[in-house]
Amino acid sequence: MSGVRTLLGLGLLVAGSRLLRIKSETIACRSGPTWWGPQRLNSGGRWDSEVMASTAVKYLSQEEAQAVDQELFNEYQFSVDQLMELAGLSCATAIAKAYPPTSMSRSPPTVLVICGPGNNGGDGLVCARHLKLFGYEPTIYYPKRPNKPLFTALVTQCQKMDIPFLGEMPSEPTMIDELYELVVDAIFGFSFKGDVREPFHSILSVLKGLTVPIASIDIPSGAGTQKMGQGRLGPYPPDSCPHQV
Amino acid sequence: MVTRSAFEAPPEWRARRVGGREENSGHPLPPGSVLKRRWWWRQRPVPRLTSAMSSAAGPDPSEAPEERRFLSTAEAAALERELLEDYRFGRQQLVELCGHASAVAVTKAFPLPALSRKQRTVLVVCGPEQNGAVGLVCARHLRVFEYEPTIFYPMRSLDLLHRDLTTQCEKMDIPFLSYLPTEVQLINEAYGLVVDAVLGPGVEPGEVGGPCTRALATLKLLSIPLVSLDIPSGWDAETGSDAEDGLRPDVLVSLAAPKRCAGRFSGRHHFVAGRFVPDDVRRKFALRLPGYTGTDCVAAL
Repeated sequence: MSGVRTLLGLGLLVAGSRLLRIKSETIACRSGPTWWGPQRLNSGGRWDSEVMASTAVKYLSQEEAQAVDQELFNEYQFSVDQLMELAGLSCATAIAKAYPPTSMSRSPPTVLVICGPGNNGGDGLVCARHLKLFGYEPTIYYPKRPNKPLFTALVTQCQKMDIPFLGEMPSEPTMIDELYELVVDAIFGFSFKGDVREPFHSILSVLKGLTVPIASIDIPSGAGTQKMGQGRLGPYPPDSCPHQV
Repeated sequence: MVTRSAFEAPPEWRARRVGGREENSGHPLPPGSVLKRRWWWRQRPVPRLTSAMSSAAGPDPSEAPEERRFLSTAEAAALERELLEDYRFGRQQLVELCGHASAVAVTKAFPLPALSRKQRTVLVVCGPEQNGAVGLVCARHLRVFEYEPTIFYPMRSLDLLHRDLTTQCEKMDIPFLSYLPTEVQLINEAYGLVVDAVLGPGVEPGEVGGPCTRALATLKLLSIPLVSLDIPSGWDAETGSDAEDGLRPDVLVSLAAPKRCAGRFSGRHHFVAGRFVPDDVRRKFALRLPGYTGTDCVAAL
């Protein structure tokens, strides 16, 4: 149906012993050979390849993910700006490792970043900005913008860096396939609940028909975080798994 | 549905806007076809004039002013102001990016696998101003990178940013020293390296008070490696005039762009860290920055 989907989690920010111990609860997916397998991530030697390959990746339920977030904000006094910046930077880094500019056919490679109405969308805005610095040519579609200083500032940063914002969503998957080599899905994150409202329902339908790869930030938008198979993006392709970058 | 490779080029007779320029592969349009302007073509913002372009008596805009490698203190402050005011960056964002990139620079200069247990212990000395805040962020990321930082932060700023950054470090079990031994040998024995995040450009040593000044006096005698963030603390940011009897760091991590005094740095490694300066701003300040590769936020000079 569609190309490889890469799922990107928030960077693992806190390694201290005081972090709430999260009991893992798997989101149903089949683990298979993964592109991040035994490769060493070489940004500053951050993770041992042994750690990456041997330690089981913990999957968080929605409640656990929200609890981690709350602990970071309330106990550790992180601000949303900080975490969002780190998340967006990590995602851009992961995308650039998965789809390096040299492997793409255009120079600079064109990327469409679709940002939702909440924090996942904010992550997408930061990600787009860093992708621009990494030598990609991002375009953003951001239909529902919260009226909060954090988000207006992030939009300004992107605009000032000449990252265009689309006025409308292309209505056919082939239109996107022709213009962009990669799509970043920053629509809904782990706190998403309930039904998908417009305009996102139509957007997700268009994305389902894409042939170019999609990189989803944190979770594939619209996928039920607890249950498999309810994804609005359709059934999970079995070779993708959420993971922490 | 027809399956096509994600990397197949679009039909050649369609011109498409890429980066604001009309791109056409050069093939003639099939007879009778109309080049339709796609409704979703991006609405590009009107290109902003740089100050060089807008001045009527100025130089030919097609010639970039000669680029230089260093920023004066005033220019560094102006660049920061532009990012904060025009680009609406938050101070927290920039401090976080600088601190994270500084930690990455440390890992490049002192890669973890090559270090013994003792050598992974890092003392981070933080002053009360922005340089100190960057040091707090750097310490936190070093902790995530599996180094063992300890912080000496004697003059704690009351502003919210510093307080939150301190809380984050405390909650990550990064110890804060209550005093720094004046006997430098004790520091040489306890730690593998020291990060100097005491003074940034534009902060006078006299402004920061006794404990920081005494700490700097001790650090001058250090025999373990010293990494200075942005400028070696105590150096004159313009002239580097204290370079002779001031701190002699082994590694200098210039934040965003090197300051003038970096010209007098003679240590082992000089990095630029903090990859967030938009191209337009870089050109406006006629800065030549080293090329960052891939997704690196640190570049060696």
